[in-house]
Amino acid sequence: MATRLKEVDVVIIGLGWTGGILAKELTDAGMKVVAIERGETRSTEKDYSVPNVRDELRYVQRHDLMMNTARDTLTVRNNRSEEALPMRRLGSFLPGEVVGGSGVHWSGHTWRWTDMEFKVRSLYEERYGKTFIPADMTIQDWGISYDELEPYYDKFERTAAISGKAGNIRGEILAGGNPFESPRSREYPLPPLTPILASQMFTDAARNAGYHPFPRPSANASRAYTNPDGSKFGACQYCGYCQRFGCEANAKGSPHMTVIPIAMRSPDFELRTHSWVTRVNKDSTGKKVTGVTYTNVLNGEEFEQPAAVVLMCAYAINNVHLMLLSGIGKPYDPVSQTGVVGKNYCYQTGAAATLFFEGRHFNPFMNAGGSNASIDDFNINWAFDRAPHGFVGGYVVGGGFNTVLPIGYRPVPAGTPQWGKAWKAATAKWYQTAMQISASGSVMANRNNYLDLDPTYKNAFGLPLMRMTFDYKENEHKMGRHAADFINQTAKSMNPTTMNPATARTDPWTVVPYQSTHNTGGTIMGTNPRTSALNKYLQSWDCHNLFVVGANAFPHNSAYNPTGPVGALAYWTADAIKRYVKKPGPLV
Amino acid sequence: MGRSIVITLVCAIALVTAAAAGQDNEAAARGEKRFEECASCHSVAAGEHGVGPSLHGIIGRRAASIEDFRYSPAMRKSDITWTPETLNTFIADPQMLVPANRMAYAGLIDPAERADLIAYLQQATK
Ligand SMILES: Cc1cc2nc3c(=O)[nH]c(=O)nc-3n(C[C@H](O)[C@H](O)[C@H](O)COP(=O)(O)OP(=O)(O)OC[C@H]3O[C@@H](n4cnc5c(N)ncnc54)[C@H](O)[C@@H]3O)c2cc1C
Ligand code: HEC
Repeated sequence: MATRLKEVDVVIIGLGWTGGILAKELTDAGMKVVAIERGETRSTEKDYSVPNVRDELRYVQRHDLMMNTARDTLTVRNNRSEEALPMRRLGSFLPGEVVGGSGVHWSGHTWRWTDMEFKVRSLYEERYGKTFIPADMTIQDWGISYDELEPYYDKFERTAAISGKAGNIRGEILAGGNPFESPRSREYPLPPLTPILASQMFTDAARNAGYHPFPRPSANASRAYTNPDGSKFGACQYCGYCQRFGCEANAKGSPHMTVIPIAMRSPDFELRTHSWVTRVNKDSTGKKVTGVTYTNVLNGEEFEQPAAVVLMCAYAINNVHLMLLSGIGKPYDPVSQTGVVGKNYCYQTGAAATLFFEGRHFNPFMNAGGSNASIDDFNINWAFDRAPHGFVGGYVVGGGFNTVLPIGYRPVPAGTPQWGKAWKAATAKWYQTAMQISASGSVMANRNNYLDLDPTYKNAFGLPLMRMTFDYKENEHKMGRHAADFINQTAKSMNPTTMNPATARTDPWTVVPYQSTHNTGGTIMGTNPRTSALNKYLQSWDCHNLFVVGANAFPHNSAYNPTGPVGALAYWTADAIKRYVKKPGPLV
Repeated sequence: MGRSIVITLVCAIALVTAAAAGQDNEAAARGEKRFEECASCHSVAAGEHGVGPSLHGIIGRRAASIEDFRYSPAMRKSDITWTPETLNTFIADPQMLVPANRMAYAGLIDPAERADLIAYLQQATK
């Protein structure tokens, strides 16, 4: 029997980026908030400082900050004819399990997604006609606009200490920034990071070929900084331990050193760690939720925490899993294409080339997560005509480094033996001389890519695992080939001694190796309850006192990393909840 | 006559001292802004440790002498007493003065900025 606790105003499931932002905003607004987090508390002082944090074995091989697949995981398959099998070891994506969530060990690349995503179907139909979009591509407009989100992007960029160079302030195109970005109200809070040789060489090559390179915006503070909430950042030290590590210099914008400690100072906020939410409970009408049930993972005790408002902030795929386990919203069925929960799961694609320059020293051990120069000429540049190439979406290309692991990073030219004397000689010879050019590409929603409950496998709580059915479709193959051709052409123009060329990802998707923790969709936002699970305020269409916050709300995935709009939408939802509590009910 | 010279002299000295104090205050005020470089890890309040130890009472303190802070072996063996001079050398290039210390900070290159910061530390850490 679960112990029933006293009701609070708001219960937050998961305390990462979205949970942290909402905890701070709603306690500031005077609400009583409890956050329930499955992981433990860790701090820069004790855990992420030198020398403890520089441990590739602990953080990279043993996934110290990431979800424990012995307790809960997903089953995975490429299509409905296959039997899905559990992912027993993390690989392709690495969701966090600690106070701060994935926001502790992310890299910090922070983008503003534009109306090219939010109005994707309207824009493509208008320009290329209805038949340009394949019948099985279930893309739809998001029901939100860039202009509505702009102040919230700005707010998140200031909280997380984004270093970058604006390319468009109120319509004025500025040299050195991304000329394709949508107008921003003001400059980034911090100037760009110091460029590294690899990003400079890519910048020169791209510029010579007529493209528009710019420094990638990222949450790696280029200088010491105090954010508007008073959280203090040190300057990035280019230590090379960013992605998969907590930041030793407090230079990477992360919830555990910004919004969470501020919420913790409020007497109206309480954090319960080592607590795993297994279900969101509904009332007898099914139109409202009443709170959550969770298990203390240290002793197995079960609790019920009633709340007037429930916020799922457990990371995109975990939010979808909780919706399915709690029976909120109609599960998606790919055959009849009815139902909404599990629909439009998307991932990302990409291509990369490694270039070797004999005699150059790239010092790959010195970089920030965001040490990268990028071009958006094939991404949010609407002038790039997709018609001859026949794909929807785009890709961003970059040259630089991010977390070059002392043991794991071993670039050698293709054809080098994979072990023994020859390999040793090659790794010593080429280590300093290699750089990468890589592309990250969007994935459009497809009726056959979706999430549901697995019929066979269960987690440590005896609940069904979530099943992921996903593969790249022809649209992504075409884009991948275009990206690979472009990368190889640019690489050749740089005259490397030798190179491992880029190829499109056309083999079936697999859970190894690491690709990106950019899983999107499953409980998407929209304007119609028949085709979306959430309205534009991330409020459940089914239960109006439930908000589901994160990339689960994205109707498709863009080429960009997700946390710019994830953070902005968390602030946007906070404002909506402040209105909601005054007059509970559907917000649209 | 003689007396008025003495009075003038005394006034002049007082003015010079006041001016020097004024300059120190200005430097310290600029240095307070520079301390943003350190504030993500250090506090000047007694007993308040962050990633780095509290800098309260740092002037005249022996390196690595705070009991409840976990210093690196390098810092413990450094045999330094913190004075404006040793702080100046340390902040310019921390790994040069104390190789293998665990402070993740590359250094403050500009000597004028270091002077401001040290002026601030002298006042704020008392
Ligand atoms: C290696 C890596 C690199 C990345 N790099 C970038 C990047 O450069 N740019 C970018 O935009 N994004 C990046 N991301 C993604 C980014 O980290 C996420 O978009 C962001 O953290 C999402 O915020 P969130 O609040 O939705 O989830 P999280 O920050 O992951 O927080 C979710 C929290 O919920 C907890 N939780 C989950 N289930 C339960 C449950 N049942 N009960 C209780 N608690 C639960 C988890 O333990 C976790 O703490 C990266 C991610 C990883 C892993
Ligand atoms: C990224 C965190 C960080 C930043 C930024 C930082 N420090 Fe430190 N500092 C530390 C740590 C950790 C130690 C302990 C080092 C050791 O034991 O090796 C330390 C030690 C010191 C010491 C020696 C203290 C003692 O008790 O012996 C002084 C002095 C000092 N720092 C001053 C500064 C100043 C001034 C700045 C700003 C210019 C600064 N630090 C910036 C983390 C930091």
